[in-house]
Amino acid sequence: MSAVPNAAALRRLSADTGAPSTAALAPAHISARGVCVDFTVAGRVTRVLDDVSLSVPKGGFVSLIGPSGCGKSTLLKVLAGLLPPTLGDVSVAGVAPIEAVRQRRIGIVFQEATLLPWKNALDNVALLMEVAHSGRTNDEIRDRAIDMLRLVGLDGAEAKRPAQLSGGMRQRVSIARALALDPEVLMMDEPFGALDAITREEMSEFLLEIWERTKKTIVLVTHSIDEAAFLSREVNVMASNPARIIEALPIDLPYPRNEDSYSAPEFARATARLRRLLKEGHRQAMAA
Amino acid sequence: MTVMVDDNPAPTASPVEVPGSMRMREAMSRFAPAGALFVGVVVLWEVVGRIFHVPEFVLPAPSSILRVLVTRQVNLGYAAWVTAQEVVWGFLLSGAIGAAVALVIARFATFGRALYPLVVLFQNVPKVALAPLFILWFGFDLAPKVVLIVVIAFFPVAINMLVGLQTVDSNLVALMRSVGASRNEILWRIQIPNSLPYLMAGLKVAITLAVIGAIVGEFAGAQAGLGYMIQFASTQMQTSLVFAALVEVSVLGMLFYYAIEWIERRYIDWMPHTA
Repeated sequence: MSAVPNAAALRRLSADTGAPSTAALAPAHISARGVCVDFTVAGRVTRVLDDVSLSVPKGGFVSLIGPSGCGKSTLLKVLAGLLPPTLGDVSVAGVAPIEAVRQRRIGIVFQEATLLPWKNALDNVALLMEVAHSGRTNDEIRDRAIDMLRLVGLDGAEAKRPAQLSGGMRQRVSIARALALDPEVLMMDEPFGALDAITREEMSEFLLEIWERTKKTIVLVTHSIDEAAFLSREVNVMASNPARIIEALPIDLPYPRNEDSYSAPEFARATARLRRLLKEGHRQAMAA
Repeated sequence: MTVMVDDNPAPTASPVEVPGSMRMREAMSRFAPAGALFVGVVVLWEVVGRIFHVPEFVLPAPSSILRVLVTRQVNLGYAAWVTAQEVVWGFLLSGAIGAAVALVIARFATFGRALYPLVVLFQNVPKVALAPLFILWFGFDLAPKVVLIVVIAFFPVAINMLVGLQTVDSNLVALMRSVGASRNEILWRIQIPNSLPYLMAGLKVAITLAVIGAIVGEFAGAQAGLGYMIQFASTQMQTSLVFAALVEVSVLGMLFYYAIEWIERRYIDWMPHTA
């Protein structure tokens, strides 16, 4: 499986078109072509996403980075089947996102853990399995919830309520809940945005571990340059006015990545490039 | 009404078993200031009454109210029993109807849009003015008081619970929908549990309104009860008895209020409590 796209070719492509496309290089697990999203607020139509294309290979790890309000969360919602695009084609695992959601191929993690405060960690992980009517018995659901908590390193915390867990632990429960239905794709919308810096780095390393163990395809929305570069195979840099992807930057940092990766020259190069792209996008947005 | 202040840090929310004696001491220190103030006011009242020779039919001294509380305890006890029944039935019905209205508005959007303005409109009718009508329609016994209590007290229950039903995390609802959860499942598993702390806040308002409703209902026409007794005693210039009945009304109201607060603490333990 050619999961790692040819970096040089990729750069050339994105330089040519402005809109990147890895579709020609690897079998796309997630693909979006010419996606536009319009919002109508008080009778005025605003284009929130303008002609966005991207492609994520199976088992890939792709980030969307950009300034606040650049539409990266909107793009994620479109990919996750939570929002229908106004124009364009989107497919996840070969079907439309809504259908992929129905087939439980998509797991979603939000910035807030969105746990039920009256339920303990175990019941929170079991919640979606219970309403999914997937044919599992209550015992099977319970066992799987326990397994998932173990996977995210929370064995022993089954009976704890969200109020008794730290922010990082709550987000782990939320990730366990998303993994419980065994989706092929994990869509994460700034999952560590509400955590402090140290917890954030820990969670990044934890997420890579989960990714390597479960082989999920992950799309991550973030506004942290370091997080994007540390985690992803490819970072899609977005700019606003109009909201679009300005570059798909491959990160040539070998996996498995760990703390030392932060001091690797490839990491420094990638973050420098990302910083420049974001600043450029910002300048253009100001000028427009 | 439903402002929750989270003043204890999240990870320490685990319940710590406190030994009985310590809990007792804690309760003492919590209620000591209120108790001291109460005693102070009563003593001042007694002293001022004696110094200025305030006539008993104007303002009876605490000692003579206490005397009436003891000597007329059978009459007062019966009146309190009658009023308590009105309060309990009225309150339970208010809670049930208020919760039902909230659920209907939250679950059936179109019907809710039709119902909500009417509920608000009805809320602005001065309901005390309806009391004579209810007496006319339902007689002098329990029924008119219960009806009056319901029209006064269902509103805060409905409004509070509605807020609780509607302030659910939209992302969580999206997640539930994405795995095929039905409207009813979302209502049952997320919205209703989420609304319970709000419901309890509404019930606490409703119970105090229920006591007021019962007394007003008895003023409008009754043959027994604390409200009836207050009205009757004041026409007879038995002011000590008026005050004695007032004391019983207050005690009754407090008992009901704390009973609800106890239920809240006992069963809705995921919300931070405001002391």
